[in-house]
Amino acid sequence: MWWLARRIGISLLLMWVVATIVFLALHMVPGDPAEMLLSTGGAMPDAYAIAELRERLGLNRPILEQYGAFLIGLSQGDLGTSLVDDYPVAEEIALRLPRTLELIVAGTLLAVAIALPAGTFAAVRQGGAFDRVSSALAAVLQAVPVFVLGTLLILVLAQWLRWMPAGGYTPFAEDPVRHLVLLSLPAVAVAKGLAATIFRMTRASVLDALSRDHVRTARAKGLTPQRVLRRHVVRNALIPVTTVLGLQMGTLLGGTVLVEYVFNWPGLSTPLLRAVEARDYPMVVGIVITVSGLFLLINLAMDLIYAALDPRITRS
Amino acid sequence: MRKLWIPGAVVALIVLIAIAAPVLPLMDPIRQDVANRLAAYVPGSPMGRDEFGRDVFSRLIWGARSSLAVAFASATIAAVIGTALGLLGGWFRGVVEFLAIRGADVVLCFPPVLLALLVVTLLGPGTATLILVLSVLYLPGFIRVSFAEVLSARSQDYVEAVRALGARTPRILLRTVLPNIAGPVLVQLSLAVASAVVLESGLSFLGLGVVPPTPSWGLMIRGARATMEQAPMLLLWPCLALTVTILAMNLLCDAVRDVADKRGGGGAKKLRLVDRLLPGLFPAPAAPQPLLDVQGLTVEIATPGGIIRPVEDMAFRLDAGRTLAIVGESGSGKSMAATAIMGLLPPAARVADGVARFEGDDLLRMPEPARRKLRGGAMAMVFQDPMSSLNPVHRIGDQVAEAIRAHRDVPAGKAAAEAVELLKRVGIADPERRARAYPHELSGGMRQRVMIAMAIANRPRLLIADEPTTALDVTVQAAILELLAELRRAEGMGVVLITHSLGVVAEVAEDVVVMYAAQVVESGPVAEVFARPLHPYTRALLAAVPDGDIEPEGIPGVVPRPDAWPPGCRFAPRCGFATEACATPPPLEEFENHAVRCIRWRELSA
Repeated sequence: MWWLARRIGISLLLMWVVATIVFLALHMVPGDPAEMLLSTGGAMPDAYAIAELRERLGLNRPILEQYGAFLIGLSQGDLGTSLVDDYPVAEEIALRLPRTLELIVAGTLLAVAIALPAGTFAAVRQGGAFDRVSSALAAVLQAVPVFVLGTLLILVLAQWLRWMPAGGYTPFAEDPVRHLVLLSLPAVAVAKGLAATIFRMTRASVLDALSRDHVRTARAKGLTPQRVLRRHVVRNALIPVTTVLGLQMGTLLGGTVLVEYVFNWPGLSTPLLRAVEARDYPMVVGIVITVSGLFLLINLAMDLIYAALDPRITRS
Repeated sequence: MRKLWIPGAVVALIVLIAIAAPVLPLMDPIRQDVANRLAAYVPGSPMGRDEFGRDVFSRLIWGARSSLAVAFASATIAAVIGTALGLLGGWFRGVVEFLAIRGADVVLCFPPVLLALLVVTLLGPGTATLILVLSVLYLPGFIRVSFAEVLSARSQDYVEAVRALGARTPRILLRTVLPNIAGPVLVQLSLAVASAVVLESGLSFLGLGVVPPTPSWGLMIRGARATMEQAPMLLLWPCLALTVTILAMNLLCDAVRDVADKRGGGGAKKLRLVDRLLPGLFPAPAAPQPLLDVQGLTVEIATPGGIIRPVEDMAFRLDAGRTLAIVGESGSGKSMAATAIMGLLPPAARVADGVARFEGDDLLRMPEPARRKLRGGAMAMVFQDPMSSLNPVHRIGDQVAEAIRAHRDVPAGKAAAEAVELLKRVGIADPERRARAYPHELSGGMRQRVMIAMAIANRPRLLIADEPTTALDVTVQAAILELLAELRRAEGMGVVLITHSLGVVAEVAEDVVVMYAAQVVESGPVAEVFARPLHPYTRALLAAVPDGDIEPEGIPGVVPRPDAWPPGCRFAPRCGFATEACATPPPLEEFENHAVRCIRWRELSA
């Protein structure tokens, strides 16, 4: 239990560090941040607009006061309002976050469901036809950038074959079937990088586990090959796979931004990209903090899974 | 090496083309020509024109230039600064270490694309912003790699030696430490470049990276999306260029990593979960029969240098309730013979010849399912290293119970209770609590007791113990041997004990088989063999045992390698009695219960 409390404490500390870095980033900009945000393509921004933005962002107040107000707002779930339309950032995020989460969960489940058995099978039949084909496929998938895959899926499945809509979103409550159809392509795109990595890692760690002495012991007990594989090979191989899964989540979250853009999935990336383009700093900060928080939360969950899989972690 | 050359050549070609872009006879990549908008082919434009009538081929090559420039620039900056920070942090420790390592941790708190977008919001899109963001993103990798390498290099003898000579710190870091961490840093550099190409194209695709009209693969894909129905090739070319580049870079990274990581050498062995089987051909012989009767057992391993035979023409008999010891130096084939009998040979090895009758049934020709039912049931095995032989992620009680339930249909609760009984039986104090422990929580001796508990879980009639005490302390060794002897008496098991210790043999075994270079050189009752050794090797072994005041004599030389057995008697090169006649292979001569493989044994024992 101590271990868990400590691990949660570290996550909270990291969350605070993330918030502080994001806060400081605005002040680390060379020159006047307000001027920087307003400048587009070299044209000198209007002095009145700069003064107004400084007031809006509270840049005229002492920095510690700004920092305090920022942290207090954050702890109450107040992320300020958009510079573009004064809409509260937190409300925009609350509307969009569930859709992004749905995509992430669907992509992760898909990746694990395909790559884990495939990697295990490839390792057990090392050098066989399945192993060679799937290993090559994983290498290619790893090399195709996520937005390239997404764009090509649309080109082939939507434009040429007309099997699928090119993208968009329908709420589940409105039309569950269409919701899932629209979810499928983005979920495949999100899953691709993760699936390739999990496949390679599973294959490698199953191969490693197969050569361990304890597997020989398990066979010496007279266990069935299936049981040896499940309980003494895959169970142990899951440990390094979990580590890699955790490390990949940052890439997955970034990839989700691109996938949402490619498929017009109205998650967090729509307001994020709009805000980056419009230099809408509060909106960008709100979304970056939210997604980073999500990232820390996923890592915490991964650590818990890891500890559950490997008794050596918490007990010694 | 082939793994390194092909992707290396592809990457080199792409880099060369990108560098040479200004001097190649290409059209201006940003000159618009609306008249030829989306033209599939225009003279001088083999890949046609894009949505502004710009030459696609030229843009593809210039696009490589901007992608690679950003990737190499940011990876190099990150490598230089990150390695420097890691070096200093690892060398000076203290505050420098804290700043470098914690700084790296902070960067890792952000998903990379999100951090990039935050900076783009502040500084506006552009090549300079991209390089800044990407270098920050790859800093942690270099800091961590170089930090870890410096920590281990610090304690190396060669660094200590230079320090002792009074070299100054900057000199040590640059001249001694840096060259030795170059490998891992190079691996990290190749990973960073490959990853930077992906991120750059992604951000440019979102319109937040390279600023138009500068050509970039990401921007080309972004632009072609709008017209993908009329001009799909416009989309496919940059997609292909990007994917091929990243694929080549990834493969190169893998190859570089394999080369840098020298432990990664040694080709992968072909592994299969279920062994190849031989159909049961031989009918069971008539009783009375020994518990285990091994004849002519030969094991082969196919290696790149040809077939080697780590066990050749092995033979012995074991009766119920007796202990037979197999002795020999490392590499004599004794463990390989035992794993062959159990059907647990490593995948590269196979039984080439021989029979091993267990209660009349030939184990070597038995279908795997039948042999599996015997394994852990009627015959069991205890291995040398109890730490690695137990699964670290399962409780020991569960591992023992698993052995029970593999052979008997008992409910989980009853198996667990029985497991506790077994742990008690092998002398583990407080067995209820220990059953819930994990292997790493037990001492070495206790782990070996657990292994034995697992082995005897189903009251085996044959127990093969492969150097069960080698990995243990001397005091624990005696206790384990005593346990085995006690169990053998109580259960009436036949025990095959593999060991290199003649002291152990004298103490617990009734019969002994002496192996040398894959062959049995002498076998017989322990008392007889030890009192009157017939083979020069057995004599040498006995002379090498420290005994009272007599100085032990070492055996000159080492066991020959399995791919270089001497043509005649394999012990001849190390034998003090060897003559010319020893150049022909000696047969194993058997008489009564004693056997010896030496053509001169009669004259030598006379």
